[in-house]
Amino acid sequence: MADEMKISKTLDLKGLACPMPVVKISKGIKEVEVGEVVEALTTDPGSLTDVPAWGRTTGHEIVETSQDGENIRFLIKRTS
Amino acid sequence: MEGKMTVGAFSATELFDWLVNNEDFLLLDVRNDVEFGRFRVEGPYPFEMVNVPYFEFIEMEEESVAKVPKGKKVRIVCAKEGSSKYVGEILVNHGFADVAHMKVGIKAWGNLLAPILVAEGNDYSLYQFRRPGKASLSYGLICGKEMMVFDPAKDAQFYIDFAETKGCDITKTIETHRQADYISGSDALRRAVGAEIVAPDGDFQGAKFPFTPAVDGTVQSFTSGGPKVEILHTPGHTPGSTCYRIDGKYLMTGDTVFIQSIGRPDLGGMAKEWSTLLFHTMTHFFLTLDDDTVILPGHYMEWREADEKLVFAASMAQVKKNNEHIYAIDNEGDFYSFIQSNMRPQPEEYAKIREINAGLVTVDEEEQEIMDIGKNECAASQR
Repeated sequence: MADEMKISKTLDLKGLACPMPVVKISKGIKEVEVGEVVEALTTDPGSLTDVPAWGRTTGHEIVETSQDGENIRFLIKRTS
Repeated sequence: MEGKMTVGAFSATELFDWLVNNEDFLLLDVRNDVEFGRFRVEGPYPFEMVNVPYFEFIEMEEESVAKVPKGKKVRIVCAKEGSSKYVGEILVNHGFADVAHMKVGIKAWGNLLAPILVAEGNDYSLYQFRRPGKASLSYGLICGKEMMVFDPAKDAQFYIDFAETKGCDITKTIETHRQADYISGSDALRRAVGAEIVAPDGDFQGAKFPFTPAVDGTVQSFTSGGPKVEILHTPGHTPGSTCYRIDGKYLMTGDTVFIQSIGRPDLGGMAKEWSTLLFHTMTHFFLTLDDDTVILPGHYMEWREADEKLVFAASMAQVKKNNEHIYAIDNEGDFYSFIQSNMRPQPEEYAKIREINAGLVTVDEEEQEIMDIGKNECAASQR
């Protein structure tokens, strides 16, 4: 389950506008090992579709997406 | 040339001008494939457009740059302008000479209104406001120092500014029906300049703003007289749907009939009942009109419906010819079968837009923008 998942790195991207959340996620995922999970916190509504689309392009797995008001949280597993 | 090239900026209006003047440029849309698939820039003539999401430039810079044809002006669009600037800088660094990004982002395109003169009479002029991002049409009828607006889009200020350039005031804002696909600007016009809302009771009963019921068979007029604006109740797309005929000739049909196809009677969850109403309207009203009546619809499906001046207008004879398969249906049963065979889901935000358009709920500007974007889904048949 997501809550039990070990988070290796947290990226606080709240308040950042497009393209910065994805720029930082792209960089951050390269700083963990394959199989490890990055938590990304955003507030840009565009990230809701951009991060999954980025995941489809790169192959990194979006394990979980959740939303609470304007706060969006992604758990992303590095796959390669 | 000295110094580093920079990324320029353009407005949605400039983009529209390039499209209608058939200029040579490349439109690079850097939104993700889902957003691009849902809603994209359209124009009257073919133009070159490629979709390469901005995050591909982040991940695979060389390959992504190679997807952008060289040698043309590159004009970049994204959701909110940050990513189009970002990609523009990458292209400039790769030697692209003429690169610019769209100010504000795609929503500026979604809200853009482009006026064009439809007709001029002795004492009036009639304008069509094309909204290419929504494929919807609103209208302005000017007589003396007064302007009536029909089916205004959300951007009330645009109409106010337009009236000012014509030296007139907006005195009435008139609705053909309660829209489900875009947020109406009528209540905003009422609040901003005191325009009187005229709207069909059948759709607006219970609305939380004051309006004058549009009564079938009556006429709206200007202080000085001016052209007659006949109110003609044409139920079907909605129970209240109403057409307005100007000067005996120009018929604003709202979403009842289009140049291609007719309005969907299934958006209110009563497809059978409203289909019956629409069939009656088709046979007892539209089929009895003069062939030279000019149809001015509330939407278009495609740019090729526009005439040579890029006005969306067609004679009743032409509209009947375009839609022979619909106008030839001679009984209610077959008509309902036609409606059923073309039924498809409606976008989920339509129910809420309907409530907003009667003032029953209010949402903030940001949410309005999100709900209001994208091409309409109002026609019974897709082509």
